[in-house]
This record gives sequence, C-alpha cells and structure tokens, in this order.
Amino acid sequence: MEASEVEFLAEQEPVTIIPNFSLDRIYLIGGDLGPFNPGLPVQVPLWLAINLKQRQKCRLIPPEWMDVEKLEQIREQERNEATFTPMPSPYYMEFTKLLLNYAADNIPKADEIRTLVKDTWDTRIAKLRLSADSFVRQQEAHARLDNLTLMEINTTGPFLTQALDHMYKLRTNLQPGGSAQSQDF
Amino acid sequence: QGTKLELPLWLAKGLYNNKQKILSVELPTVYKESWRTVFSADANVVDLHKLGPYYYAFGSQMLNFDSPENAELAQTILQTFISRFRRIMDSSQNAFNEDTSALVARLDETERGLFQAGQKGLNDFQSWEMGQASQITASSLVQNYRKRKHSELDA
Repeated sequence: MEASEVEFLAEQEPVTIIPNFSLDRIYLIGGDLGPFNPGLPVQVPLWLAINLKQRQKCRLIPPEWMDVEKLEQIREQERNEATFTPMPSPYYMEFTKLLLNYAADNIPKADEIRTLVKDTWDTRIAKLRLSADSFVRQQEAHARLDNLTLMEINTTGPFLTQALDHMYKLRTNLQPGGSAQSQDF
Repeated sequence: QGTKLELPLWLAKGLYNNKQKILSVELPTVYKESWRTVFSADANVVDLHKLGPYYYAFGSQMLNFDSPENAELAQTILQTFISRFRRIMDSSQNAFNEDTSALVARLDETERGLFQAGQKGLNDFQSWEMGQASQITASSLVQNYRKRKHSELDA
C-alpha cells in the first residue's frame, strides 16, 4: 500500500464542522450527510470537511485529542513505556497532516501540535525498529504488536516481511532434508 | 581420478550422486571453518559483496552436497544474516536523499534487495509527508517507453 492510499482511508473518519451555509440533507452511497445549518455543528467525513474548508464554507472543530496538553501527555507516556501505547485515533498522523495543512487557522497552536505529533511518531518508529531487531535476533516465529496504526505498519511492512521470508529460507536449511527444498532458492 | 577441478555449480550438482562417487565437493573458502570464525566474530565488518555477491544463496546450494560440516554451515549463514539485519534496516530507513552507494557496497545481492525495499518504504512516506504524493506523475513503465509517440511522429 502507498501512503496516499492510507490517507484515503483516513479521509472516511468523521470530524465536526460548523458550516456557514444552509443545505438540506444530502444522500450519498456512504451514508446521509447533513442537514447543514449556519452555526450548527455537524459531523461529516474528513474529505468533505476539507473540501468545504478549502471553499471557505465552514469552520473546522479540531478533534478532542488535538490539544497541546493532551499530546504532551501522550508523548511522555509513549517515551516512558516500552510497549506501544494506544493512540487517540488510528489515523492520528494523517489527521494532523491534513488538518494542519488545510485548516491551520482553526487549530490553536498548530505548530506545537505538529512538533508533538512528529515526536510521538519518531518515538514509535524507533520502538518498532527495536522490536523488529529483537524479533529477528531471537528467531521468534510470531509476535504481537498492539496499538500500531496503519501508516506505521505501512512504512516498515514490505521490508520486514521480505527479511522474514529470507530468514525462513535460511532456517529451513538447518533441518536435515530441508536441503532438497533449497534448490528452488 | 583424484584431480582437483573448478566446476560451475550446475555441473557439480548434476554430476554429484550419492550412489556412484563420481566426485566429491570441497567447500569454497568463504564457507570453510576459518571464515566461519570470522563471521561469528563480527559479521558486520565483512564485505559480503566482495566475497561472493550471492553469499546466502550460494551457501544454501552448498548444502546439497552431503558434507559433515553442513549443520555448522547452515547455522553460520543464518547467524550472519541475523547479525547484519539491524544495520541493513537502520541504514535503509534513515538514508533519505543521500548517496547510498557506500552503504550498499558491502551488501550481498539478497541484502541489496532488502535495502531497496526499506528505501522504498522511507521514500514513500517522506514524499507523502511533504505533500508530493498527491501530484500525479508518469508511471515508471511509461517513462521507459521506447516507442515514439504519435505527436512526435506528426511533427
């Protein structure tokens, strides 16, 4: 999968907006949206929110977790614990990027939030690499990684699976009789 | 009888037969005891590409010939891969927009494939983060297209 495909999936997530126009309920394959009334908050998918925002038809309400204090807490927790901590949203990285790029004026302290999320991301990627290394070193057959998000899996996925495939072939060599299989190496 | 010959692997494999002892195979130096101790000391400093660009694949093929050292050989190849894994992972996922030829120079061919996979993951993510992923570019297949386009023919 590519990063832009992951972003596409993230755009299905709901966010709250305050429109400045009025429109009846609209009927889409993915569900009904609206009705839109000026000043009344309404939940829409992220893709529509960004589209409306770009046309300056609404004001975006940032998700609850997109707040400097909460993110600092999350960052500290992520740094202190050895395992992955649950993230406020399965698409936190995509959300931050999209919202800060298109609706930075509706988000207080946008720059600080960007740095905090990036820090959390870096910590998690370092952890992921560390656990991948110990996984290979101990020659485990399976591992459990909770609370990883799709984007994180996506960055190391192809590399890790290819490495494990390769290691599996080398391991079958160890078994007597495994040498017959190694012909189709 | 008793002559030492260098044969390609495919021929040696064809001639090698358990029942009739037409030939016996001597391990290449890289897979012998003395090199195995080098690998177990520190596999990271060894230039696998110089020793034989297909260290892992060729080593696995050598197991087809029943030699008493088979078990140790298989173990060494596996351990070599495990100890080199971390370095490949780190270098492939941190070198963004850099000249990678120095990093790749010491890697075996299979390791190079891995390195490429790691680089692709990194590059994909970085280009998304910088907002370049939404720009539409020509597919790599089309870029290599050798045929002349209609527009060029008309001109």
